[in-house]
Amino acid sequence: MTSQPSDDAQAAERERSAFFDAVRASTQTMPGLFAWGVVTGAAMMQSGLSLWQSLLMAFVVYAGSAQLAALPLIAVGAPIWVIAFTALMVNLRFVIFSAVIGPHFQHLSWRKRLWYGYNNVDLVMGFFPQRFPTHTVGKPAGKQGYFSGLAVSNWLAWQIGSLTGIFLAQQIPASWGIGFAGSLALLAIAIPLVRNRPTIVGVVVACTAAVATVQWPYRLGLVSAMLLGIVAAVFAEQLMVKTKDKV
Amino acid sequence: MTMSWPEYLFLLLLMTAGTLITRSFFFMVGGSRRMPNWVQRSLSHVPAVALSAIIAPDLLVVQGALVEPWLNIKLIAAMVATIFFLLTRHMLGTLAVGMACFTALRVWL
Repeated sequence: MTSQPSDDAQAAERERSAFFDAVRASTQTMPGLFAWGVVTGAAMMQSGLSLWQSLLMAFVVYAGSAQLAALPLIAVGAPIWVIAFTALMVNLRFVIFSAVIGPHFQHLSWRKRLWYGYNNVDLVMGFFPQRFPTHTVGKPAGKQGYFSGLAVSNWLAWQIGSLTGIFLAQQIPASWGIGFAGSLALLAIAIPLVRNRPTIVGVVVACTAAVATVQWPYRLGLVSAMLLGIVAAVFAEQLMVKTKDKV
Repeated sequence: MTMSWPEYLFLLLLMTAGTLITRSFFFMVGGSRRMPNWVQRSLSHVPAVALSAIIAPDLLVVQGALVEPWLNIKLIAAMVATIFFLLTRHMLGTLAVGMACFTALRVWL
């Protein structure tokens, strides 16, 4: 038991150095995250939210693609449940991320797991599994430090970007169409997610349905298009699996 | 925006709950329980489908109608940006190229 303090000190040092490893690893992604934050911040102000409403959304919701997806709906006065549903659909990718990252933190208290979960952002998914593959589940050394390094970097780059966008928004004339940058950012997020043929089928169906139903009230067409696209993708997947089984 | 403060706070509550539940899902539900394979595959399609349903009307519909692609400057700019992104995978550059193309077309056409 006499060795306890030095063990603790060693463990703390290990988490600390893992933290800075993570900060270094994520440096290259900071400009992109910052820019995405600026675009989202400006888009919030230009969709009619007040300064405080924009700040609150950036700091509490803390989900860029869901925010960008929700803003045009807020601007046209879509019903709250349509906006919340849309944001939830865009966020569903995080369920998959949590299935990859979550098992590494099962030894923690539920409060800590909830906190780590809230911070389980795209940047974590991009770097954490490279350093800690699935077979390291159950060996917690260095993981809290590394995770925190990624989470803090992501939070800082994103929130500084958001603040910049929120405060610059008034200086940018509406005719510049900065909202279009929001669409471009969503496009750059969506493209890497299209990885197989069933997804392509779903995307084509959803785009067609979304355009065809654009005149529907309360943006109900958007919800219908998403549901149709998801059904189409799952159906296409089943069909392709069956065809493969026969061959 | 027509939303009142209480309505807006309610929306933020729902959106924050959405962030928290999706991100922490498998942090909270027990370690031994794994997602069935088909659920995981089905979920993997959802974000791309949802995002494209949001983007498509913005790129394709001009004042409530479809127009010829060569008259739609947002669509042209988005296609240039897409090609740039596929070649470089660079987010910042993609925004810059797309906005530059959009602005050039908007000013000159």
